[in-house]
Amino acid sequence: MNALRRHRELERIWSSRPGWRGKLTTVNNNDIGLMFLFTAATFFVIAGILAMLIRAQLATPRSVFMGPEIYNQVFTMHGTIMMFLFAIPLFEGLTIYLLPKMLGTRDLAFPRLSAFGFWCYAFGGSLLIFSLLAGIAPESGWFMYPPLSSTLGSPGINPDFWLLGITFVEISAISAAVEIVVTVLIYRAPGMSLDKLPIFAWYMLVVAVMILTGFPPLILGSLLLELERAFGMPFFQVEAGGDSLLWQHLFWLFGHPEVYIIFLPAAGVVSTVLPVMARTTLLGYGWVVAAAASLGVLSFGLWVHHMYATGIPHMGLAFFSAASTLVAVPTGVQIFAWIGTIWKGRPEMHLPMLWILAFFATFVMGGLTGVMVAMVPFDWQSHDTYFVVAHFHYVLVGGFVFPMLAGLYYWLPHFTGRKRYFRLGETAFWLIVLGFHGTFLLLHWAGLLGMRRRIDSIEPGSGWELINLLASIGGFVMAIGFALVLIDVGVNAAVAVRGRRNPWRAATLEWAMPAPSPSYNLASLPKVLSRYPLYDDPDLPLRIARGEGLLGNPRSGLREILTVEIASGRPNYLVIFPTNSALPIVMALITGGFFVGMLIKAYWLLPLSVLAVTALAVWWAWSLGSSEDEGPQPVGHGLALPPASEMERSPGWWGSLFLLLANGVFFGSLLFGYAFLWTVAPNWPPPTLLEPGLAGPLLALGGAALAFGGIRLADRAVRRDAAPWLGLLLSLAGLAALAAAAVTVLARTTHNAHAYDATLWVVAGYVLFHATVAGLMTVFLTLRASAGYLSRVGEVRVVRLWTDYAAIAALLGLGAAWLPVALS
Amino acid sequence: MTDILRISVPLTAWLAAFSAVYGLQGLVCSQRWADAGLDLTAGRIAMMVAWAAAVALQLVFLLALRSPRFVSRSAFVRWVSLMLAISALVATLWTLLPVVTTSACL
Repeated sequence: MNALRRHRELERIWSSRPGWRGKLTTVNNNDIGLMFLFTAATFFVIAGILAMLIRAQLATPRSVFMGPEIYNQVFTMHGTIMMFLFAIPLFEGLTIYLLPKMLGTRDLAFPRLSAFGFWCYAFGGSLLIFSLLAGIAPESGWFMYPPLSSTLGSPGINPDFWLLGITFVEISAISAAVEIVVTVLIYRAPGMSLDKLPIFAWYMLVVAVMILTGFPPLILGSLLLELERAFGMPFFQVEAGGDSLLWQHLFWLFGHPEVYIIFLPAAGVVSTVLPVMARTTLLGYGWVVAAAASLGVLSFGLWVHHMYATGIPHMGLAFFSAASTLVAVPTGVQIFAWIGTIWKGRPEMHLPMLWILAFFATFVMGGLTGVMVAMVPFDWQSHDTYFVVAHFHYVLVGGFVFPMLAGLYYWLPHFTGRKRYFRLGETAFWLIVLGFHGTFLLLHWAGLLGMRRRIDSIEPGSGWELINLLASIGGFVMAIGFALVLIDVGVNAAVAVRGRRNPWRAATLEWAMPAPSPSYNLASLPKVLSRYPLYDDPDLPLRIARGEGLLGNPRSGLREILTVEIASGRPNYLVIFPTNSALPIVMALITGGFFVGMLIKAYWLLPLSVLAVTALAVWWAWSLGSSEDEGPQPVGHGLALPPASEMERSPGWWGSLFLLLANGVFFGSLLFGYAFLWTVAPNWPPPTLLEPGLAGPLLALGGAALAFGGIRLADRAVRRDAAPWLGLLLSLAGLAALAAAAVTVLARTTHNAHAYDATLWVVAGYVLFHATVAGLMTVFLTLRASAGYLSRVGEVRVVRLWTDYAAIAALLGLGAAWLPVALS
Repeated sequence: MTDILRISVPLTAWLAAFSAVYGLQGLVCSQRWADAGLDLTAGRIAMMVAWAAAVALQLVFLLALRSPRFVSRSAFVRWVSLMLAISALVATLWTLLPVVTTSACL
């Protein structure tokens, strides 16, 4: 097969359907990545316009441009859109587009999950924009502190848009994180061992794990606050045993890692682009990997430094102040590695390099003011002033937007296949950098002069007037710069001349394919021998196109891909990916029905949505795997690999493992909340405690034992080619007993009586939900066994994982519910 | 999988210990601690024991990652996991130092 014929055949197999309808059913990483990027850019424009409205309002004293109600919505939505609808989806889109290419593979681990995540993002984001247009947008600040965001402070529908819309959007973040982790771990080019991973992949691995562990506390907080608002469950109301500080803990358990979740992808872009601009390789690769990983974990120990002014004892403050200073060390390691890279190379001042230099200057300044606000005495003086606003804009714009602009201009030839001809980008660079510092450098000063955050008007004679006028002028200069970037990119993408492949002479595999990228990314999967495959073998792109790697001969119209061993990168399984489908968009729409039902209090929609989503999930899962054992299949070079669906640790098992990691953090946060209220909240202990009785604990213990043992029995039967029915039946009975144990808790408590009762409702509801999910999976497994799909143990292992989790969660959760009486 | 554990476990243990000691400090300063008949000295001792246990655990990780039984076959993973274990030990010593240097509940 020649290269052209191979290209046509692979395009036929991997591409989306033609026309706009193809975008609705595509599951291809190129399409989904670009759709994320375009949508994130649109939200950036909206949030940017809101920023200009803020600056217009504050440009002059006693401005009547906006009233306080509208102003509150505008600044809340500016922050919300920038953080949740722009920053995170932007790097997700970039990663979905680039990561498979860099790793030398053809797509991400779960293509339909990518599409589902995108549609959840698009629909959830649209809900928030609708609220803005309708004048009923959230108005309690982007961190939604109760009681300002509870029914007491905001009785309208406004905060519900935030709580439900953001939770809907977060499905996409969790989906993308699962995708990224599994892809980096097992979907790579043959031979790409961990020490040969592109540095961007290491960063994204760390970020994805951070998303899986950082987002669940916020999802929990949003759920609790929405339950309080909708059903009167008083988690944050002091008079009924709640505590508004619980929200701050849950929010910042997410919110501080979030800063690093946003920074680390940008650092990954810098670590990728900078060495190419400096015509060298990254200095201290291992140090940078260690720094990124330690930064990822250390950032979880900082959440209370946003709460210094809440009256926490000195020792607690000192813990978090110490941790806050510590993160400067791995950040410094990265910065010195980048400076060293410039030092050992021969830097060329292309536009991406200009943006990286702007990043250095701005981010280092933002980092230093970060160390200042990490010191408790200084923070007490500057808390909730414009000094903090200026600090985090330096970190987020300097540490995320500037590197992303470097990345945009670096990969623009890859996206478009064109050479940049019009040079508006350089003008835009100077406008943005000067405009940015003109705005936010001055606002540090305003903050030190006492200007408070979120005020809708400044008073004449306050001393802040001139600063704000100049800052507003700077803001508009910056906005003109961003508009020029959009024009520059649009014009160059549309009409610039065709460029050559790999114009930067980079070493990573995304440059080993035609530009723009074909839908299948790589015509064959190359064997990777070093971190810099294109430096080692400049002819590699040609050999890939000739089909000299693995999977170079497409067969039977199948989307074929390989997995590898995590450490060594040795190919181990063959995976057949699903094709284009309307299932993701339909499922996202129906999932949206659940959130809309909650929003407009049409509660009848909820069970309908749940039923429909369950039915679609069964349909989705049924189409995977095969009812026949196919055995090892040829993949080229005389190598034959077994299908991954026949193995014990299938990609589905890996995906479930990391989804359960996020789930476990959610549950851990719930138990933390319970312990927090018990320990700290006023009006505890509650008036009455739940008596466990005998039936509940017996059901829980017996059910856990049955579920745990039953699924293992089924597992053993499948491995021995015997009938798994008895094991499946026992497991199902055990899960039913766990559900019944949870119901005993629900039946003996009143959801809105006290924060204690409300918490037990959520704990028991969590146990009931997981017992039900594991039960449904067991029923599904039974049907699969009847249809002959269970000749191998792979699917049983996935259900075993979920069953074990349900049993452990039941024992822990219900045990925590019954513990107080047992101890008293 | 074991290489991923080698890389991730020490810092995760730091996070767990850090959160646990912070939680313990919250408990020591709460009415529940006094209701149980315990005073601040007992609380301080409990936190110091927890800190010492966390440091000891990090030392165990460090030794294990250097021992032939647990060491990774990949030189890269060996190096990165060792660096991260040292980071975790330093983090445990530094971030929990306030246990012996500041007032507990003021």
